[in-house]
Amino acid sequence: MEAYFVAIAIIVAIYTLLALGLNLQYGLTGLINFGHVGFMCVGAYTAALLAEQGWPAPLSFLAAAILAALAAYPLGLVSLKLRDDYFAIVSLGFSEVVRIVVTSERWLTNGVQGIPGIPKLMGFTGSGLVQASAVLLLLIAVNIVVILVMRRIVHSPFGRIIEAIRDNEDAVKALGKEPVGFKVRVLMLGAALAGIAGAFYAHYIGYVAPDQFIPLITFQIWMAIIMGGVGRVSGALVGTVILMAFLEGSRFLRDVVPFISEVEMASVRLGVVGLALILFTLYRPQGLMGDFTRR
Amino acid sequence: MILAIESLSKAFGGLRVVDDVSLTVPDGGLVGVIGPNGAGKSTLFSLVTGFVAADSGDVTLDGRSVATLPASGRARAGMVRTFQVPREFAHLTVRENLMAAAPEQSGERLFDLFFHPAAVRAQEEGVRRQATDIIEFLRLTAVADTPAGRLSGGQKKLLELGRALMTGARLILLDEPFAGVNPLLIEEISQRIRELNGRGIGFLIIEHDLGALTRLVATLHAMDRGCLIATGTPDAVLSNPRVREAYLGGAA
Repeated sequence: MEAYFVAIAIIVAIYTLLALGLNLQYGLTGLINFGHVGFMCVGAYTAALLAEQGWPAPLSFLAAAILAALAAYPLGLVSLKLRDDYFAIVSLGFSEVVRIVVTSERWLTNGVQGIPGIPKLMGFTGSGLVQASAVLLLLIAVNIVVILVMRRIVHSPFGRIIEAIRDNEDAVKALGKEPVGFKVRVLMLGAALAGIAGAFYAHYIGYVAPDQFIPLITFQIWMAIIMGGVGRVSGALVGTVILMAFLEGSRFLRDVVPFISEVEMASVRLGVVGLALILFTLYRPQGLMGDFTRR
Repeated sequence: MILAIESLSKAFGGLRVVDDVSLTVPDGGLVGVIGPNGAGKSTLFSLVTGFVAADSGDVTLDGRSVATLPASGRARAGMVRTFQVPREFAHLTVRENLMAAAPEQSGERLFDLFFHPAAVRAQEEGVRRQATDIIEFLRLTAVADTPAGRLSGGQKKLLELGRALMTGARLILLDEPFAGVNPLLIEEISQRIRELNGRGIGFLIIEHDLGALTRLVATLHAMDRGCLIATGTPDAVLSNPRVREAYLGGAA
């Protein structure tokens, strides 16, 4: 049972990193990024391929963050000059392009079979529960650092401007500031976080394959920040916990509710999360950590 | 002369919304533009401030053409507009709205934010003091820490004026500063504009409320169907038969 909880906690921590990035982009800046998983994919494959080459983890994680951020740069430059809703479409398209590229470029990524045998992180601590707990502690430490950085950004002139961009972009221009530069930086920062999350994910699962990086992941992160509270740093964490509670909790429904097969269960889980999302938007649209108006 | 608009034109489809309009604002001037709905006043503002690209014509600020600059560049050059429907940063407080407008903040650069925190903090204190001064000047102290989305219409107009002041603009273009504002506050806003004008800030003001505007400005321009039809002192413009006809909707 401990192993199960550590496993869930690791996934929560990885998702929290993704949610913190998306919260910076959407919650604070108003960027509708439907392609978050694409940056996670870039990070995961970067870490996997570099681990295969024998790079030490700190270096390959850094490379994963940088490559994911660089992938965001041209995307941002091209589409952030367009209207918000176009960016949503372009970003969704981007993540699908990334997935198709890693599927097709077999010489590099081994196609649909993916890359197996990615070594576990923190292997020097031993194996089994000890090693998993060490990974969890490392992830918690990374999350704490990221949350501190986010709080610093939120309570700064930079944070003020990105929130102003979210509230009214034309007014920001009218005051002599160019929103595009801020949006590109926010997009790259969020992508770097997704890249790090992807690297953790690759090492934790032990292999990467294209079907792990479907748009569903992006929308699960969206559900998390909507339920947790858009624009709140704490909302990213709380929302991820709620999401995982519903996803994993509904797994146990099978013990209580009869006549549900293994296959049907997958649909039921999504249904439960969908219902939760509807109830949240109906009864607590500002999310659990609430109050969209205050930080 | 701080602002010169030369033969500015813009057509949407076949409709000439602004048709060969030229006007100037002298240094420290207080100039008004009137005209019935659809006369092209707000479009003229958007052309001048770079929010809409002009078909032809030129805009010079302090004798330098700004026609090729984007909206943000024109604002940095010293010319800041407000909007007919106020565009407050609804989730930021009044104080934060003003502070966001301060130019050249090192804390807007992520590198400085994390590697020169002391310099960022020092500058932030200065910006905060400046915002407090402007909030007091505009009599917004009571709502200084209220999210701007909760302000009344008139308070939002004052907020936009305050943000323009924070940028250090030398010319402020006000788009209907009295629209949707209660009569008491109209006099209040007029008084603030006079005081600022006394300090040398130029104003170009679009307004429907002819009474309040004519009491405020020295020079008035009248527009109708995209064209400038009269220029002069407020009394002269208001008694001009073409202006009366445009407003009363007489047969053209």
